[in-house]
Amino acid sequence: MDETVAEYIRRTVLKIPRHEIMEMLTTWDFLSKTQLQTINMHQIKESISQEVVELCEVITSIVNDQTMSNSHNFVFTISGIFSCITGEETDSFNLADFKYNFKRSLRSALKNVTINFREYEDNATWIRIAWGTQYTKPNQYKATYVVYHSQTPYVFISSLRNRIPLLCQALVHASNYHDIHEMELRSRCLDSLKDIVFKRYCQTFQTYHPRPLQERNVAPEKVDPRIIQVNKREKERIQSVNQEVFGEGLQPKIEFAQYKLETMFKGEPEMDILTEKEPFRCVVKFSSPHLLEALKSLAPAGMADAPISPLLTCIPQKARNYFKIKERKGILSASCLGP
Amino acid sequence: MDTPDSGGKTPLGRKTAETGINFTSSTRFSRGLTFIRTHTLFGQSPTRRIIPQTSLLQENADSQKIAFLLRKQWTLYSVTPMYKFSYDNLKEYSRLLSAFVATEKQKGLAVEVGNDLGIKVTLSTFLGLKGTDQDQIAILVQIASRSQLPFENAEDKVVWSGWFCCISGDDLLESVPEDFTCLSLFLANGAESYTAIVGSWFQKTFDCYFSRLTISPLNLAWMAAMWTGCKVDSHIAATELVFSVPCIPQSLDISYAIHPEDAKALWDTVQKTPGEVTQEEVNLFMDCLYSHFHRHFKIHLSATRLVKVSTSIASAHCDGNIKILHSKHLIGVLMLLTELAISQIQ
Repeated sequence: MDETVAEYIRRTVLKIPRHEIMEMLTTWDFLSKTQLQTINMHQIKESISQEVVELCEVITSIVNDQTMSNSHNFVFTISGIFSCITGEETDSFNLADFKYNFKRSLRSALKNVTINFREYEDNATWIRIAWGTQYTKPNQYKATYVVYHSQTPYVFISSLRNRIPLLCQALVHASNYHDIHEMELRSRCLDSLKDIVFKRYCQTFQTYHPRPLQERNVAPEKVDPRIIQVNKREKERIQSVNQEVFGEGLQPKIEFAQYKLETMFKGEPEMDILTEKEPFRCVVKFSSPHLLEALKSLAPAGMADAPISPLLTCIPQKARNYFKIKERKGILSASCLGP
Repeated sequence: MDTPDSGGKTPLGRKTAETGINFTSSTRFSRGLTFIRTHTLFGQSPTRRIIPQTSLLQENADSQKIAFLLRKQWTLYSVTPMYKFSYDNLKEYSRLLSAFVATEKQKGLAVEVGNDLGIKVTLSTFLGLKGTDQDQIAILVQIASRSQLPFENAEDKVVWSGWFCCISGDDLLESVPEDFTCLSLFLANGAESYTAIVGSWFQKTFDCYFSRLTISPLNLAWMAAMWTGCKVDSHIAATELVFSVPCIPQSLDISYAIHPEDAKALWDTVQKTPGEVTQEEVNLFMDCLYSHFHRHFKIHLSATRLVKVSTSIASAHCDGNIKILHSKHLIGVLMLLTELAISQIQ
């Protein structure tokens, strides 16, 4: 067995708390019951891990559930695969073919890779790839994870910038699609990314006669006793407009949004400044543990107009959180263009 | 102006009750001194500031020492005038402070008497850090741990540095009697515990008071405007403003970074009188940036809190942290900080 793989297993076992080791080894499911029973759990951890390594002659899957459930540790990018239009698309997805083709494509480009597959109930195929170079063994500690839902044209990749072209090439070969490109959407929360692209969040619908619904259950607000007068109408207007643009229900969880602005500077008319012909270049980054909820609370807090800018509310619909905004010719307002 | 730590947080972990300094509205130091700020009204920031000429670093400035100050994160403190501090006794002070640091560090540990802990404190003068000739000479304090290596010339490792300076502190100097030394600005880099120890020794020995120098959003805006306007030849960086949004359930930070050429172009159209910056100009500059932002995002940045400013010259955080990037503008930055320190002392 590969030295580095053995070392990796040894270190992983050492990290597990003693009382959880047996449980973990059972879920990993690559040692048989009889093999597990032979391990003496009453010795020091060093020896336990050494025994485990010796039992593992053939590793079928290094992917362990603990890594999987810690999926919030990675920053996932999304790649969207163009649907093939010429009809070469295979009707049924064959997992075995996919795995075989993927491995073959990747291995032909790079000899030193470790590739492991794991399937889950929700049709998700997880691929774990440990990269090496021409001369070095694969680095098991900095693996890339790829999540592919076979029924959808989406792939989620944990970030590893310089390997993406190679990975995309292999994916295209394996899945029989024409093309693959990276979407401008990144987050730490894989489930939220899925929510956004699979449109699983509560979407907003355009209404042309916005009026607050009378029957809606409004929870009684905690009113500060020092407030003697409230512009109730304005408050309700802000609430209803805010609900419309953000939609009801919980927003998908993303942590940041970045806007590269290349629009012309336009101050108030009385400011009389900077009549340049060049755009005013700036980069705006919003960050928050739960960005969309934070943006949703700005208008009711009085820090933003209601409705807030569509540049912010379009994030889930457009499935992107990296934007480049250029001046639209002929019209004063900025528009959103893709790269 | 009340010290920012009046809410119960002690600046150096050790409030020496015996100094008896009272920082309520009457500007009173211990030993019954009073003086009045000549230029500005009590508690308000000035309506105009002079832009210092660059290259004010005097000829005798030690360039290696100056380079040591740059590109490091310094925590800012304001210091009240020190009583009976003498530049002739620096060696003696070094010895006393070394002993003090050693005892403080060893508190609670059983140690042989006379054991050399390997900590060495040096006080030295820092020439060239002056705004005007009346300014006192800057002092550098360094704590080094003696190298464990056996051979003779093994270098000591500096684990903590702090320096006192006062750049163009004319207002204070005018009204302070002879026995006092005004080095109103203190900058520290290194472990907080060392800062507390050194600070408490100075407080006890020279009857002065250290307090954390926080920077208000108003002053951060001044820094953004003044530093954006400085001409920089190398290592040009974007002008970045970081805002923190209060009063919402989830915390939200907004970073607004402007291309340095465009930021400078905007500032050049706003600033009218060369060599001088007024409050109106700073307000106009910030309003322009706010309205450009509002046009795109419909968010009122003026309702949020400016917490950090980064430019090619320097970056400053509202908690009282600074990083200076160019030696050419070092004096200018220090002059502004000295002014803030002095206004906090009063």
